[in-house]
Amino acid sequence: MIISIENAKIFQKQSLILQDISIQINKGEFVYLIGKTGSGKSSLLKTLYGDLPLKEGTASVCDFDLTKLKKSQIPFLRRKLGIVFQDFQLLSDRSIHDNLNFVLKATGWKDKQKMNERIEEVLKSVSLTNKGFKFPHELSGGEQQRVVIARALLNEPDLILADEPTGNLDPETSEEIIKLLFEISKKGKAILMATHDYQLMQKFPSRTIKCENSTISDSSPNSFIKTESTYNTDLPQEGNNL
Amino acid sequence: MSANHQSHTKRRLISSYFTTIISISLVLFMLGILGLILLNTQQISNHVKENIGFSIILKGEIKDVDINQIKKTLDAETYVKATHFIHPDSAAADLKRDLGEDFISFLGYNPLLPSIDVKLNADYANTDSLSIIEADLLNNPNIKEVIYQKDLVSLVNQNVKKISFYMLAFSGLLLFIATALINNTIRLSIYSKRFLIKTMQLVGARHSFIRRPFVLQGIGNGIVSAFIAISLIIVVLYYFQQQYPELIDFRNFELYGALFLIMIVLGILISWISTNLAVRKYLRIQTGDLY
Repeated sequence: MIISIENAKIFQKQSLILQDISIQINKGEFVYLIGKTGSGKSSLLKTLYGDLPLKEGTASVCDFDLTKLKKSQIPFLRRKLGIVFQDFQLLSDRSIHDNLNFVLKATGWKDKQKMNERIEEVLKSVSLTNKGFKFPHELSGGEQQRVVIARALLNEPDLILADEPTGNLDPETSEEIIKLLFEISKKGKAILMATHDYQLMQKFPSRTIKCENSTISDSSPNSFIKTESTYNTDLPQEGNNL
Repeated sequence: MSANHQSHTKRRLISSYFTTIISISLVLFMLGILGLILLNTQQISNHVKENIGFSIILKGEIKDVDINQIKKTLDAETYVKATHFIHPDSAAADLKRDLGEDFISFLGYNPLLPSIDVKLNADYANTDSLSIIEADLLNNPNIKEVIYQKDLVSLVNQNVKKISFYMLAFSGLLLFIATALINNTIRLSIYSKRFLIKTMQLVGARHSFIRRPFVLQGIGNGIVSAFIAISLIIVVLYYFQQQYPELIDFRNFELYGALFLIMIVLGILISWISTNLAVRKYLRIQTGDLY
């Protein structure tokens, strides 16, 4: 079990965002996390990577007990998981290669040759070989997002948390990114992806968790997509907005 | 294109350090100037105090051996900076010149007694020490009298105390302002990197790992700033030396060395502590509070 949450409540500062949360996610599973803006998707993800403390209930992520998580342990939890953001969050002051190099150095890699090999490896896995010398803003949005995914893969995490990774991308590029994530999950990594992109979900159906009315519901892909697609028609999609 | 861009980014980075360094240098320069003034007040006050002295009037029938004995004993004392024996004849000659009248032929004898002028070390130029010294000297049967101006001594001391106090208070205030200014400059430069810091945290870097390069950069900036400030001070010193050679004593290498050392230490300490605090702040803050 990569993620196991029981009866958790999630708070943002003092206000209760989500309650009665119970989720189990296994190795190699691909799970969508959906819900309206402000429904608590990001808060749930933040709790999983230790940016928000878990105050009630029990949860373990990659064998870290979130209820007992000390501040000093947070970096070590984050090394076990990869995080992909809507706004990329690359280090804008250095090249792609140095971005990846920073992560390796920060996570205790010492051997320069091995580090370079690993960087080449992950860049290749997202089809970005020979772009390492570029600066983040010299790349397109899709390329930047692929760098972020490469960065998330550096330390061979068991889990990748993606917070609207296609939110800033056009539909075609979004599809590429999703395909990439699906490939990664097939290699045995669990992926939890928050999204609003229901068209993509229809194209790539998978287990879906929905945040609604301060709680979550978990269901098989098909039932969800049906209700969501009707609900979806009268809502502009964020991915297409841009 | 990319190489071009890289150099552009580097230039931007350098220019941001440059601003910080210049701000810190100017503040350190101001502190250094104040330090110079403080050093010189100390010297001026010492100079004034060491010109305070007293005269020992010896008995008329004293032998040369005894005079030498007294002079030697005085020279060995810690409170004495210099002694000067005045023979009755030379005293008479001085007085004759001052009065413009030959009083010896008028009186038929020289009424003046031999005396020793004593200049004090600055530390002992106060009424308390002087009265002890006076009592001690009067035990000597060959000494008739010890003369000094009590009012002058206490007045000089009071004024020096007052001026030193104001200077110190002013320096304290300036140091506080300087620290606040440097702190602000550094906080702004760290603030501009807050998202970078947050991203570093999100990819699993430990706080100490994130802090290290910032702090090293801060210390480096502090050192460079201190050297710029010191260079400026040396220019100012040189200029003053040319204009008012009597004001600045370049032989006081140790004092200036100490001042420069203090400037370097201050530069390092202030940037070190400020950088550390600023980075810590953004490490602790939750992502939502960054915006």
